[in-house]
Amino acid sequence: MDLHPGPDAEALRAATAEWLVSRLPLDRASNRPAGLWDELEAMGWTALTLSEDKGGPGLDHATEALVFAELGRHLAPLALISTAVARRWTGLDRRAALAIPDGAAGWRVLDPEGADRAIAVADQALGLFAFTSGEARPTIDLSTRQVRIGDASLDPIEAPAALLHLRVLLAAYAVGAADAARDMAVEYAKLREQFGQPIGAFQAIKHICADMAVQSAVARSQLYYAACALQEGDADVGFYIAAAQMLAVRAAIANGRANIQVHGGIGMTDEARAHLPLKRAHLLEHIAPPALRALL
Amino acid sequence: MRIGFTPEQDRFRAECRDWLGANVPAERRPLNAADALAFDRAWQGKLFTAGWAGIDWPTRYGGRGLSLVEQVIWLEEYARAHAPWVGANFVGLNHGGPTLIANASEEQKAYHLPRILSGEAIWCQGFSEPGAGSDLAGIRTTGRVEGDELVVNGSKIWTSFANVADWQELVLRTEPGSQRQAGLSWTICDMRSPGITIRPIRMMNGQTEFCEVFYDDVRIPVANVVGGLGNGWKVAMSTLSFERGTGFIADQVKNMIEVDEHIGRARSSGLLDDQRIAEDLALLRAEVAALRAMTYRNVSEAARTGQPGAEASLIRLFTSELAQRVERMAVRLIGDGIVDFAYGDDDPVAEYLRGFAQTIAGGSAQIQRNIIGERLLGLPRGR
Ligand SMILES: Cc1cc2nc3c(=O)[nH]c(=O)nc-3n(C[C@H](O)[C@H](O)[C@H](O)COP(=O)(O)OP(=O)(O)OC[C@H]3O[C@@H](n4cnc5c(N)ncnc54)[C@H](O)[C@@H]3O)c2cc1C
Repeated sequence: MDLHPGPDAEALRAATAEWLVSRLPLDRASNRPAGLWDELEAMGWTALTLSEDKGGPGLDHATEALVFAELGRHLAPLALISTAVARRWTGLDRRAALAIPDGAAGWRVLDPEGADRAIAVADQALGLFAFTSGEARPTIDLSTRQVRIGDASLDPIEAPAALLHLRVLLAAYAVGAADAARDMAVEYAKLREQFGQPIGAFQAIKHICADMAVQSAVARSQLYYAACALQEGDADVGFYIAAAQMLAVRAAIANGRANIQVHGGIGMTDEARAHLPLKRAHLLEHIAPPALRALL
Repeated sequence: MRIGFTPEQDRFRAECRDWLGANVPAERRPLNAADALAFDRAWQGKLFTAGWAGIDWPTRYGGRGLSLVEQVIWLEEYARAHAPWVGANFVGLNHGGPTLIANASEEQKAYHLPRILSGEAIWCQGFSEPGAGSDLAGIRTTGRVEGDELVVNGSKIWTSFANVADWQELVLRTEPGSQRQAGLSWTICDMRSPGITIRPIRMMNGQTEFCEVFYDDVRIPVANVVGGLGNGWKVAMSTLSFERGTGFIADQVKNMIEVDEHIGRARSSGLLDDQRIAEDLALLRAEVAALRAMTYRNVSEAARTGQPGAEASLIRLFTSELAQRVERMAVRLIGDGIVDFAYGDDDPVAEYLRGFAQTIAGGSAQIQRNIIGERLLGLPRGR
């Protein structure tokens, strides 16, 4: 038992964080540079758990989760998740979008740009379908666009681990969003002064930040545990991953909301970045939510 | 990272499970103080004789000399076997002993540690005073140095198990006129010393677990000071780090088992069909799982760096509030059964009422939030 990232995993995380700070700053989340996807692909993030004979570095799911939490902190494209899962479990060698049900028959295809295949999540099962991208429209998450399509014929993905893998990566993105909100709030609480002192000196604000830190730590701990459970084929892996996903999304929403409150008026503006993690959280909330029965 | 244990650790777990399966007493811990004390001592003595006391304490003091990981495994199996609450041995095992291991002289360790492990010596903690609760630096009880003795005057309050204890972690102001954190000393006080008066206080669940303690010219040898005269604040902080840190691992596993039992009961009574109860139970089950993950993370970090992570305060705050939510759920599942609660009952209602201590004792939830905000997140202190 060891839930502390080792030096190699930590080095990879730090390198990822450094790259993201310069290439994927949060304040440009709604306006990503053209050609970003090729850069992201070149970084190898969609192939982390691919074995060496398939051209990947053969890393474990916990290390991958650590890296994806970093990506999530910068609201990186959702297609990194769907592409990584499609690659690993279907051998698809190009970009895959992520589709969630839209009403009874239709689909919302998220992050469709440059893709003609989508990983689809419905009824606790995973499939792949082909689609033709039309004009992409906004989602609540300013860094994710969508096309809505009618019927599609689904190729089921048989490997049960595929959906578990997808959930781990979704949880990692949510942990990242929760962390982003916590860090933004804490940073602002140190800078903004009222009544002659930084607002973070007021317990009412300090305690909000402390609760955000708890939310993040709880979600991250369960993420590590769940990722290890997937790697090691634990008998209760379904529960551990459902728990990780639920706690991570809850943390992202709670911290996202608290972050706006800590910012006061400027937190309500489009210009400030405070709304971005919350909006990402509300999107993640509706992607493959775990069933209650998986938790009981 | 991995969650699996080594084959050796798995073998150790099996050993724990086998022994506990054969030896956990069938009867519940009695409620009245004298019987409870006899029960606690007998059980601890049995653990000691069989080699299960102080799993991660040094062997030369009677411990097993294993790592924190084995300690966690033992506590997990302990809770799973429904083994008795440590009761009156709480202070000695969870923070008195560890404080001595970290700060005491060889002589002090050699005398006290084996007696704590064997259940022979019961300890209590004399930190809080009427004027010094959250603000511990407000301690006013004095210990005047007279030759090789300290002469103690003043009073302590909320001292759990003072009425049954042999020894006390007693923090005193030993430097006359000193202020706040300066001039304090952490001493080992013999609870049978002349001049000590103990007044038990009944709690709101009807049980009598803590006391008020008065000191009237009580004499303590200066040799009983731990960590040096005037260094009491530093030693007291190490006590609190043990009290707030590893001391709660057993409770964490207990919560996990209790939630599963709640779910089982709600399923058989049909209450699980209530969507709100089902959702709340699902969340609790996820949270207690996450608490184990947090503990594992903390233990892993301690194994790598030699000390518990700075995130211990996060675990402490989360544990205490989560335990209260679990206890509250137990009471929700009882429904109108709560109406029948009477003093002397040993049931989930008594647990629920006692559970308020979770966010008060050993540093309140508000104090934990201050610590997290200031020490972990680097937010400024208020003026
Ligand atoms: C069951 C039980 C067992 C105990 N056992 C022991 C024992 O064995 N030995 C021992 O020494 N003590 C013991 N205690 C005492 C315990 O440590 C104190 O109760 C605790 O430190 C709080 O102090 P207080 O009760 O004086 O409350 P106060 O400090 O008066 O606090 C009252 C309220 O004010 C809040 N508050 C205080 N200061 C601040 C602040 N700076 N910022 C925000 N809020 C603040 C608190 O959070 C609390 O809600 C025990 C307590 C209980 C309930």
